[in-house]
Amino acid sequence: MKMYYVDNGPHIKSSYNTSKMMVHLFIALLPIIIFSSYKNGFLPYFNGYGTIFAAFRPIILIIIGMLTSLSSEALFYYFVLKKKDKQELFSALRYSFAIFPGLFLALIIPVNTPFSILIVGCVFATIIGKMLFGGFGYNIFNPALIGALFIYSTYYSNIISNGGYLNKMEIDTIAHATPLTNLKSLNYINSYSNIVSSFGDLWDFFLGFIPGTMGETSVLLCLLGFMYLLITKVIKWRIPTIYIITVFVLTAFIGYYNNLGLWYPLFHIFSGGLMFGAIFMATDPVTSPTTSFGQVIYALCLGLLTVVFRFLTIYPEGVLTAILTLNMFVFIIDKIGATVRFNFKRGLISILVLLAAISIITLYIANTIGRTDEVDDKKFNIINIIYEDNKTIYTVTHKAYHGLIEAEVIINNDINEVIEINIIEQKEDVWSQIENNNYLTAIIDNQKKLDDLDTISGATFTSNSLKELVRKVLADYNKKR
Amino acid sequence: MVGINLPSNKKMSIQSEILEFIKPNYLYIPLVNYNNLDCDCLVKEGDLVYKGSVIGISNDQFNMPIHSSVSGKVIGIEKHFYLDGNEVNCVIVENDFKEKVIDKKVYKQKITDYTKKEFVDLLKNCGIVGLGGSGFPTYIKYDTNLPIDIVLVNAVECEPYITTDYVLMREKTEEILDSLDAIIEINDASKGIIAIKSYNLDIVDEFKKYIGTYPKIEIAIVDDLYPNGWEKKLIKQVLNVDYDKIPIEKGIVVNNVSTIYAIYEALKYNKPLIEKIITVTGEKVMKPQNIVVKIGSSFKDILDFINGIEAGEDVKLIAGGPMMGVSIASDKAVVSKNLNCILIIENDKNHPLINCMRCGKCIEVCPVDLSPVLIKNAINNKEALKYLNPKKCIDCGLCSYICPSKIAVRNYVRKAKLSGS
Repeated sequence: MKMYYVDNGPHIKSSYNTSKMMVHLFIALLPIIIFSSYKNGFLPYFNGYGTIFAAFRPIILIIIGMLTSLSSEALFYYFVLKKKDKQELFSALRYSFAIFPGLFLALIIPVNTPFSILIVGCVFATIIGKMLFGGFGYNIFNPALIGALFIYSTYYSNIISNGGYLNKMEIDTIAHATPLTNLKSLNYINSYSNIVSSFGDLWDFFLGFIPGTMGETSVLLCLLGFMYLLITKVIKWRIPTIYIITVFVLTAFIGYYNNLGLWYPLFHIFSGGLMFGAIFMATDPVTSPTTSFGQVIYALCLGLLTVVFRFLTIYPEGVLTAILTLNMFVFIIDKIGATVRFNFKRGLISILVLLAAISIITLYIANTIGRTDEVDDKKFNIINIIYEDNKTIYTVTHKAYHGLIEAEVIINNDINEVIEINIIEQKEDVWSQIENNNYLTAIIDNQKKLDDLDTISGATFTSNSLKELVRKVLADYNKKR
Repeated sequence: MVGINLPSNKKMSIQSEILEFIKPNYLYIPLVNYNNLDCDCLVKEGDLVYKGSVIGISNDQFNMPIHSSVSGKVIGIEKHFYLDGNEVNCVIVENDFKEKVIDKKVYKQKITDYTKKEFVDLLKNCGIVGLGGSGFPTYIKYDTNLPIDIVLVNAVECEPYITTDYVLMREKTEEILDSLDAIIEINDASKGIIAIKSYNLDIVDEFKKYIGTYPKIEIAIVDDLYPNGWEKKLIKQVLNVDYDKIPIEKGIVVNNVSTIYAIYEALKYNKPLIEKIITVTGEKVMKPQNIVVKIGSSFKDILDFINGIEAGEDVKLIAGGPMMGVSIASDKAVVSKNLNCILIIENDKNHPLINCMRCGKCIEVCPVDLSPVLIKNAINNKEALKYLNPKKCIDCGLCSYICPSKIAVRNYVRKAKLSGS
């Protein structure tokens, strides 16, 4: 009697496997990695900006990200999970695809992020975001985004004071941090020349030659990566497609409502890392819904939340926060998705409810941000005016990026000019930029032609607020004189 | 509904002649019928039986007879592996090689001459069951007061490796058409449709040579996707009809093409179902073949007969196709009516186990709209299993097949299904 090996069927398996999928993912990211190094490092260097070290900075950041992730996971396996056997440790690392959190994190941070901060972020992403949940396949939140959130919430001012988003060339040519912070400082609705032209044209947005995080800027390369992942069947294609379309439609409506053209929604989907986030972060298989219906709901909600975050909160880009928020609800979304497979009517109803909610919220946003003048008035408040013999002392507040700036502005009555600005209170995290650049002095020096005074890159919003504050004090003073 | 184009692996056995292996020394006739694995034995040690004698009967609502497939002497009962991996009682008959048949019953001059009642009785007495794999008694499908409108012949054979239906259609084209024509006539149906998958277009040509003389018979071509041979999906595809529990609700009867041929032999010669074609194939078989075997032949005898089998620790012996077949521990297994393939392949060990990354591919491929990965994650959560509805599973195995992390997803779904939620 011959004996045979017994196991459960099926006895053939598809040639497809997880390792291959991860290799495909890496291949899809490769052009982005190369472009990022070129645009943020070599391009400025060849144009005579920055040192040779700065030219290699992006690629060093990416390598540091991957290595930190890999080594912190290795240490976690070795010391916490007690995988001391070399073979075992190696295979655990190989099949948990340890480099990805660090790689992704490096791509979604500004090029001037200090190395030490990136390392801290990678360790946080890997250990807290991934390993403590149980490792590959068990994490609820996207590890790289958790790392990014940690970095931004803890070290944002350090990153900004180290140079922020702008590479060596952009610092000299562009006066704003990123297109979206600029948009926010313009109060969302403004002309094409103010919103887009200060960074180039939409073609530059499409190719990726605009300020932003390391890997997020090139729409073209993100779309190429998407195509590649689509052909190799790696990606949950519904998520990026619907996500991007939702943001496009909503911002198109908001733009149309405020008499802006088609460039407005294009600007929105081309900036703020939306493409990169939608294609590479929102589709992270572990943290996104598995059912096709769930993916549709997830993507619609992502689109809505991104728009809400962009227009109604202090976070200008919205992608990171939207994805992390929805990561929490994947379990519930999947439950709906699994039930809808048996009963499509129910799915239709939930989609309709969702679309109704989206419409109402969009209408609200379009309506609110449109009335810029009213909002403008409330931004500036005169608390007290003291008239002395030769000077007038204004105590005023003006809305800034974080809350209000309260300041004392002293005007000399003889020459009718501001001679002193004393800041009483401010909560700006980029304040060091203002101080380092002696921006208050610059304002006093240029008070006659404030429009020509450039804002400080990385602190655009705050600069604009200060300019506005002084402009309005002067307007009030001149009215009463 | 979705499906997957599986690597067919049919070429290795498709062109070979059909061998005959009808003279083993001993037959081990399994006392099984449909899902009854413990039927009554009607003979005792020392009894002499004819070829076609009833030696057992299913002690359930079907009352299906079990026939001896040779003439000879009963020498006892022994446990052997059935195709589901269980050991079942088998009646051992020592072959006297005389092929003696009981009294030749009179059969009709023309195979269309039967009344419906005679037809149903004939199917029952000849022990005809669904040969596609289910083994469900065929007479039950026709023993109905509901009108039969369409007889759909399932010749899709969507599992990889298996070619029994293909070679049967190649060799017995006219007989199959005759049989189907008779079934249509006897049951007063309006038409018969033979569903063949696009992979086998040469067989379609074969049928088309004759089909002109059978006005009520059509050929339907279905996509080469697995599991297109699944009854519900087949009917949806060919007729665009949905049904709730059984196809007869919509006036449809589905039979496998091998069953149609078995019905032909019953109608023409009153011959019980005691022989059938099986495919013996796989990478570990030197010369893959289709073989006519008697019900009750042991795997060992068959494998000895075709020679050139590699056995061993890393070789799997599978009763059935690679998707739904069951791997059997030893060659002490027997041919039953619903067996259509003996597959011998190497155990593929090159699949490291990786954690599920929730790619959702198992959900995309599931033909019955389950969410296998969610069932797997909720395996101990009775509440969640309620809305995940694992009892709908048809065991097709696509979820395990497609899984990039090579997780045996179907096992979890089966477990959830059995846990009764």
